[in-house]
Amino acid sequence: MSAPATGNPATLQVMRYDARRGTLEVIVGDPAGLPRQILAQRAAEAMRARSFICHTTDDDALLGADEICFIPRADRCEIVSIHTNGWRRHHGDHRRSLVEILNDLAAAVARGTLSFLDDEELAAVSAEGREIFACTIEDTASLAGARAAVAQVLKNQHVSDDARRRLELCVSEATTNMLVHGGGGGTMRLRLVGALLRAIVADRGPGLSFINWTDEAGGAKQPSMGYGYKIILDNLERVHLHTGDEGTTLILDRTI
Amino acid sequence: MLHTRVESGDTPVIYLEGEIDLDSVETFRWAVTDALRGATEAILDFSRVTFIDSSGTGLLVRFCLDYKAQGLQLRLRNIPPMVDDVFAMLKVRALVGDEAFLD
Repeated sequence: MSAPATGNPATLQVMRYDARRGTLEVIVGDPAGLPRQILAQRAAEAMRARSFICHTTDDDALLGADEICFIPRADRCEIVSIHTNGWRRHHGDHRRSLVEILNDLAAAVARGTLSFLDDEELAAVSAEGREIFACTIEDTASLAGARAAVAQVLKNQHVSDDARRRLELCVSEATTNMLVHGGGGGTMRLRLVGALLRAIVADRGPGLSFINWTDEAGGAKQPSMGYGYKIILDNLERVHLHTGDEGTTLILDRTI
Repeated sequence: MLHTRVESGDTPVIYLEGEIDLDSVETFRWAVTDALRGATEAILDFSRVTFIDSSGTGLLVRFCLDYKAQGLQLRLRNIPPMVDDVFAMLKVRALVGDEAFLD
């Protein structure tokens, strides 16, 4: 997979260490220059310790990142790192810092709430179950329509009001992120996978820049990205993310 | 869609009705900016707000903090449960202070 867009204040890299094979797979980002041997050693250490390990470093030569987390899973270790490209915490700003958001993402991976998908996994997860709704999201006026569609589907499925409101909110956050950061539009599909409602929000943008603090949403500075992801991760059972230079897909799962 | 109505006075009251999302944040922005012109405080009434997302919440937090820094006050009242849920998720009370909430 190619690197996400460059020139952003921050970029995300995700790699996967497979303990059985001893291999390191790039899931998100550009592996060029990363010290794979050191990363594999650190991942193996985290797996032996069965412990979520985060490092903060200014030593790009060592880890190539400002913050890097090793998250052991059953038979593999996810390595999530952030490159802040010279960005530093803006004191006095109410927006959450990039590092705090990275830690939230890493914690969500450790809890099993968030998973990063490679191309094959994306194809498999996207095809599960049966499609019950699809629409395009072309502009901000489409957001209310997407929420209304989710509400109608959930009403037909006799979902509780609380679950319905939370799903509408999460879909709205995902589609808003797509409009702001995903090249201006894309698609939203709903699928039923057993007892799960799965919303698949996909754009053909330049790939997730992780956080772009300099973007101006609707002509106004909005801290929507970090807040939006927090809402999504706090209200869903499972979130899958695939991103690259051909676009970003966010898959949201909640039992209904 | 968001509709706004301002009850003018020493402390203007801005009545919000509808959904506050990326599509309506500009309406929200202008309503608050206009109402606070020449005033030292204003009240935002959320009783008819049916939806708010992180775009709207982010702008609200920014307003509260920016106005507070200028010695002005924006107070919030009649927060519906849906909106209160989102505020709780994003820790809005901790960010803007309990004193911003009238109920």
